[in-house]
This record gives sequence, structure tokens and C-alpha cells, in this order.
Amino acid sequence: MTKRTSRREFIKRSAAVTAGSIILPQIIPSTAMGMGGRPAPSDRIVMATIGTGSQGTGNMREFLKLKGQLQFVALCDVDKKHLEAAKDIVDQANGNKDCRTYGDFRELLEKEKLDAVSIALPDHWHGIIYSAAANHKLHVYGEKPICRTIKDGQTIVSAVQKNNIIWQTGSWQRSLFNFRRGAELAINERVGKVKYIEVGLPDGGRGIGTPPVMDVPPELDWEMWLGPALKVPYRGVSHWNWRWILDYSGGQMTDWAGHHIDIANWGAGLEHTGPVEISGHGVYPPEGIYNAPVEYDLHCKYANGIEMRVANASRLPHGMGTTWYGDLGWVHVDRGDILKASDKKILDEVIGENEIHLYKSENHYQNFIDSVKSGKPAIAPIEVAYRAISVVLLGEIAMTTGQTIKWDPEKEVIIDNPGASRLLSRPYRSPWTLPTV
Amino acid sequence: MIAAVVLTAGCTKETGYKTLIITGQNNHDWQSSSPVLKKILDETGMFSCEIAETPAAGGDMSTFNPDFSSYKLVVLDYNGDSWSDKTKSAFIDYMKNGGGLVVYHAANNSFPDWKEYNEMTGLGGWGNRSEKDGPYVYYRNDSLIVDETPGIGGTHGKRKEFLVRTRIADHPITKGLPARWMHGNDELYSLLRGPARNMQVLATAFADSAAGGGTMRDEPMLMTINWEKGRIFHTAMGHADKEGGPAMQCTGFIVTLQRGAEWAVTGNVTQQLPYDFPTAAGVVLRPDFKEITYKEALQNIRSYDIGKSTKNLVCIQSHITQLAGDKAGLLETEKDLVSILKDEKATAESKKLILRELSWMGTEYSVPAVKELVNNNDLKDEASFALSRLQAN
Repeated sequence: MTKRTSRREFIKRSAAVTAGSIILPQIIPSTAMGMGGRPAPSDRIVMATIGTGSQGTGNMREFLKLKGQLQFVALCDVDKKHLEAAKDIVDQANGNKDCRTYGDFRELLEKEKLDAVSIALPDHWHGIIYSAAANHKLHVYGEKPICRTIKDGQTIVSAVQKNNIIWQTGSWQRSLFNFRRGAELAINERVGKVKYIEVGLPDGGRGIGTPPVMDVPPELDWEMWLGPALKVPYRGVSHWNWRWILDYSGGQMTDWAGHHIDIANWGAGLEHTGPVEISGHGVYPPEGIYNAPVEYDLHCKYANGIEMRVANASRLPHGMGTTWYGDLGWVHVDRGDILKASDKKILDEVIGENEIHLYKSENHYQNFIDSVKSGKPAIAPIEVAYRAISVVLLGEIAMTTGQTIKWDPEKEVIIDNPGASRLLSRPYRSPWTLPTV
Repeated sequence: MIAAVVLTAGCTKETGYKTLIITGQNNHDWQSSSPVLKKILDETGMFSCEIAETPAAGGDMSTFNPDFSSYKLVVLDYNGDSWSDKTKSAFIDYMKNGGGLVVYHAANNSFPDWKEYNEMTGLGGWGNRSEKDGPYVYYRNDSLIVDETPGIGGTHGKRKEFLVRTRIADHPITKGLPARWMHGNDELYSLLRGPARNMQVLATAFADSAAGGGTMRDEPMLMTINWEKGRIFHTAMGHADKEGGPAMQCTGFIVTLQRGAEWAVTGNVTQQLPYDFPTAAGVVLRPDFKEITYKEALQNIRSYDIGKSTKNLVCIQSHITQLAGDKAGLLETEKDLVSILKDEKATAESKKLILRELSWMGTEYSVPAVKELVNNNDLKDEASFALSRLQAN
């Protein structure tokens, strides 16, 4: 264990071994010696979690259910309380007290010898940290929305491709039967050729007004939390509710694009392209610190003629979820195992041997681990995640400018609109920069 | 002769639709509400309102005899004694000839025994209303229910802020409105019942168990009714406190009243939806019942600090959005914003907000003013942010 091995290569049974690098001692607990039918520790995926809030911890708990297949050895967060709580979970799973903790992801990436990392952070950090993890040649389970801006997304996609890592987006609906079945019915034209898609995402919730400046809690590294975002005084929003502030996220609309738009694209063959025209209307809170749109209604046209409406659920006939419409009817999917169609017979349709059978996964976390081991792409790769989020990021630009945005999905540029084009990226606060890939 | 009718204050605009606000008796503070209704409608510039007061309760109602036919719109802020047969008949003729009517809050309590009036309001409450007067109408599980169950008509729980849900989004009155919005502290009228014919329920509010009558129904809040050739807009909201209060100051109440009144006159709505219409994020009030204009916002924002209202910024953003594609208009706006950057009296926090807007909508015109702030200790991050974008292409 003193030789530095690219663990990813090792796991793929590659012979590539480079000697001489110094690494941290890898302590293998006695309970993890490959006894009792479990994989030997060297076959286990060694993981870390960056971002140990509710989503990061939730993902970690799901990974820990895959007993014996992986091991968490390190954690990183800017909130010490979150870090301690997560360490307790990992230490308990490992049966020791050895899980290492970090407040700076750069230190973790530099010091730890990992195969993969699970990342769940506020969106404004995604561009830097996803790219950094990929550039460290780590496989990534990354939360959606995978980027705050188009530019961030392009950078992450490039980093993942260049480093040839396995990427799994937290778009776990893909690993549920009803979503796959609905998408399969749509893509095999059981409602006729899909012409129109409706995507219902959550309505925005209540605001908290305009809270005063507060003392930063001692456990929180506020400067690091802000990172590349503009410096603002602490006003009590660092966990969860950052999502309603545009410096860090785009609200419900961008949060859920990685679910129901991702599914919409899956069932309509739009996974590797984007709309050519986007217009829309946002309803923004007229008061308060939360400034993400509470309601939104986007209309997108694709080069092949498909149109897509993305709106908050209260505005749509089917509410939440994805609905594909064709000449023969519609199919609708949503959480809670919902799979409905204009005619029940559509739901009984058999997909023939020579028709399109979509990627099948029954456990989103297992699928990631399997992919890491096999080297085959996971069910929610980075490219399709980027295309799903780009719909609403462009929609956000249409809403901000009040203009119809023309987009070239091949060159990935806004056509003839310098002002709107500037909104494709957010300048980073010094010293942070987006890595060049 | 209309001896006992007191006509207060003249018209604000002679070109506006002549409007008669009728009040004088109510179980509510009509002395407060009726001037506010007038102010709200006059504010649009589309109506010229007069307020007519009936005799006090028990008075000689035969003296109340307005010339309805000379008005385009009647607004009822009235819950009291029955009018004379002659006045009722004149009112019916006015409506039969295509008159416009706004039924406001407790006006739906009035005249329980006047058949035509109840057909016009669609739904009413109190006044011993029961199954004899018509069904309950409400939403449950997103379906409109017409419920003949026997029982009382009209109740409400404790006053509170509540969420209003748009039910018909493509009606001229509601077109473009948020699907859900928070309404200022108000009585949530529940268990209304009536003939409910030719009625559309435009918006509802859920009367939960804690307050609002606890019916666990989505109760009708905004309705339209077509009666003969007449058009009626009925708002169950807007309970008046002294000088109006939050139910009447609520931008949602104000704007739906203004739009509903226009629809009642013309069958259409030409008013733009304002930037400050509330959303589910929270109640938005207009303390003086007026919308802040862009020019006012440009002035007000200069004193912005953390913790203060962000309304002026949202007004400016809305102005920019509405100018979409209008290069000359956007350049004028850019100049307005740059003048705030140059204003020594404007706060640093206000300049931070302005720099963010200029970062994308600015042109080379903004660059010198932004550059000047790059070395300003308070503003260097935001100025660099803006400059980085402005020089990107």
C-alpha cells in the first residue's frame, strides 16, 4: 500500500502502477480485510464526500447501504457541525475513528488517495469543484443542477471528458421504473411522434423578507462558503435556503431541471442537443432577500420542431412532472410512481426487440459504483445533465432580459445578442477562477 | 332630485369611465373603505369616481335615487337597508342595458331577498342565506364543486394573510397573474352560496382549520358574472380597517379590483400587470395605494441599504425587461443607472445593485463610470464583476 496507484486504473485491473509518490497511510480496518465473502478492501471504491449538508449526507447514506462495495475515508465541508455529524456516520460504518475531515476541498483533493467523490454543494461552487475533482481523475457522483451558468457547465463537461472519468448526476429519477417506462413509451412513439412536451416544476415558496446582518456562526467559514460569489455580509442564509438567491442558484426552476427536464429529454431524444429559441416570463418576489423567480413559464423550440413548455406546476394541466404529447395522445410521469396516459392502452404497449430500449438502472448509487468498476458510462452522464440544465439557464436569460433568446445548440452560443451573451457566465470573485480545461 | 345623495369630490379625469361608488350603510367601516376604493380606481386614470351615500340605516330610502344610466360603472360598498322599488328597478334597467358592476366584500351580504341582485352577485353570505338561496360553490382537489348541501351561507375565521390561487388563468382579469399569491391580512369569506349562474370563479383561497372558517375548501375569492347584458366583477376580499389597512393595501387586491372594474365596463383589460404584484413569496402592500413609478424608484433606490425594501430594484428591473430590444430606451435607462453610480449621496449598497444590472445591460457608455469604482474599497468586487462582463464582448 505504499505505492501510488491510480486507483481507478487499479480497479479496472490495469497493470499501470507508478512508484515513488508519497501518500497518506491508508489504514485498513481489521473488519475490512475481505473476509466473509466481502470484497477485499483493495477492490472497494474509496470515496470522499464534499458538502455534508442534507443532500450530501443523504447521498452518503445511500452509498453506505451498498455494504462492502465502497468505503468513505474523508469528508469536506465549510460547516464544522455538518462535518462532525457526517464523520460520526462514516466512523460508525467503518468501525473506527479514522475518517479525515477538511474545510478546504483543495487540501482534500491533494492529500487523499481516492477513487471517487460524492459532491453536493450550492450551485455557485459546482464549476470549480466538479472540474477540480475531474482534473484529479476522480470519478464523480455530482448533484444537480450541475452548473450555475452555461460557462460553468461547458467547463465541467470538458473536464469530465478530458479526464475520461465516470460521472453520475444525482438525477435519480432515471433509475425508477415509471420514469424509464414513460420515456420509453414516448421515444418509441406510442403517443405518435412527440411534438410537444410539458414540464412542471415546483412553485416557489414563501420568502423571509429582508433579514438583518448577523454574526457568522463560529462553525461556519463564510468566506469559503461564498467562494467565487460576490462578497456579502452573512444574513442567516447558508444552508438549504441559498437556493432562493440568484447569486448561488436559480430557485426551484434550476433545481428541478435536472429531474423532469432530464426525463423529458430522455423520452424525446433531446439528450444531446438544446433548444434553438427560448422565451419566457418570470414572476420575481417584489420584496426580500430571496430573489429567484417564484413562478416561471418558458417556451422552447427545438431544431426538429419539438416544442417544450417549462413552468411552475400550478400553471400546467398535469401539474408536476413530464408530459409528452404526440398525435395519438400523451404520457405523463411524476414522482410517487405516477405513470399516466391519455388512453390506458398506451400503458400496456410492449416495446419490441428492435425498438429503443433505454438504459436500465434500478439503483442510482449502485449504477455509479458499477460504472466505476466496469468503466462503462453511468445512466446520468455529464453531457445529458448539461443539456437538461441549459434549457432553464437559457430560460433564466430570457426572463432577465425580457427577450427571445436564439441559441445555437451546436456551437453553444447565443446568436446576435451581446447583452444576453454576457449572462452565460458569472465573473468569479478574486482569487477564484474557473479552471481552463 | 336626489336630495339625500352626497356627492363627494369631483372627477380626477373627465375622460375616465364615469363611476358611482355606492355606500352609506355597512357592517364594515365604509367611511374608510369607500374613499380608498375611489383612490384605487382613480389611480388608473381610467375611471372618474363619485361616491354616493344612501341615507343612514332606517332612513327614508326613497330619497336615494341615483341616475344609474349616466354611469359606466357602479361599485357597491353597501350592506344595508333595501332600496326603494323604483331605485331597484332603475338599477335592474342599468344592468339589463349592459351596465358594469363591482361587488366589493360585504356588498355580497346585502339584499338577501332581492332575486335579481343575488343573480348578479352570484354568491352571497349571511342575511339568513341558506340552501333556499342556491348552492355552495368551491374548489376541492382542483375541481369546481357546486354543492346543494343544506346549511348556512357565509362565515369567516380569524383574519390572517392567505394564499390566493388563480383558477382561470386566461380570463382578461387574471391573464399574466401569478398562479399563487399571498394576500394581505383579511377575512377569508367562506360558505358563500347563491344562484351562481353564468359565473366564473377566477381565484380561490383555502380556508384551513386554523382560521378562515375552517371549511377545508378552496373558497371563491374573485368571480365574474354575466347577467343579461351586464358584467359583474365580484371580489370577496378587502376588509377595511381605519384608512384601509392591509387587506386593501395589498397589491393583489388593488390590481385585481382595477382590472375587474375595467372588465366590468368593457369586457376587456388593457392595464399592464405591475412589477409589484405579490407572489407566493409573500404579501406586498402599497401603503398609499399607489404604484411606485420608474422615476420614483430611480430616486428611492439611492438610499438602499441591507434590510430595506428591495421594491425599487424590482421596479427598475421590470422597466428594463419591458424595454426588451428597445436600444434607445435601454441606453436612456443605462444613463439613469450610471447617474446613480456617480451620485455621491447614493449608498454603496445601492451602487452594488446597480453594478449588477449594468454588468449585462450596460454598453461602452457605462465602462468609464464602472472603471472609476474598481479601486473603491466598498465597491471593488462588484465593479470588477461588472467590468469583467462589460468587456467580455
